[in-house]
Amino acid sequence: MAMPSVDYLAILKTLRRHGVDFVIVGGVCAVLHGAPIATFDLDVVHSREPNNLARLMAALEELDARYRIPGRREKRPGPSHLASAGHQLLMTRFGPLDLLGTIGKGRDYGQLLDETIELEIGGGLKVRVSTLESLVKTKEETGQEKDRAVLPVLRQVLEQKSKS
Amino acid sequence: MARGKSPGAEPKKRRSLGKLKTHSEDGVDLTLIRWMLSLTPAERLQVLQQSVQSLLRLRDGNAKR
Repeated sequence: MAMPSVDYLAILKTLRRHGVDFVIVGGVCAVLHGAPIATFDLDVVHSREPNNLARLMAALEELDARYRIPGRREKRPGPSHLASAGHQLLMTRFGPLDLLGTIGKGRDYGQLLDETIELEIGGGLKVRVSTLESLVKTKEETGQEKDRAVLPVLRQVLEQKSKS
Repeated sequence: MARGKSPGAEPKKRRSLGKLKTHSEDGVDLTLIRWMLSLTPAERLQVLQQSVQSLLRLRDGNAKR
């Protein structure tokens, strides 16, 4: 699969322009908090309220989002996919985007909101991201090898932040 | 008479630099974390995007050989 030019900011601007409610989690969230790691996809947990799903569908249309799973590459996600608790692994014109219905032990957008902060990430764009503490909690809950691998870095970022 | 710092000055400086560890006990590079924390979130996102683009260029250049 050809990899388009990766532009996380462009994806986020498109989501915000369409008024989509979402929280950034995963590697990009870790970087925004100061973790020196590389990641190739943008993970967001979206609100699964019907009105938000309509706005999300419009944003995905503009982003030309399609599944990046073999056998489904030409398929676009529909409202029923986005309404599920599952993970939609997509490729957009600005790079990979993972839309997550829930994360960790089944936490959804509404449950995550209390553990988020708003950050300005350039050009006046403000986005909601998981707190670093919440991100650590999620990665501990998930318990996958790839998540455990990044935990020492995240814990050190927390420690260094507490010192500054 | 030779000019210079008092005999105790230099060791004191070395001790204070020595307090700033470069790595954690489990091997995490703390110098990179301190650098990232010195940036704004917008700058951190730029660093990430540039890193990813750079890695992709390296991968694509290698694939063409």
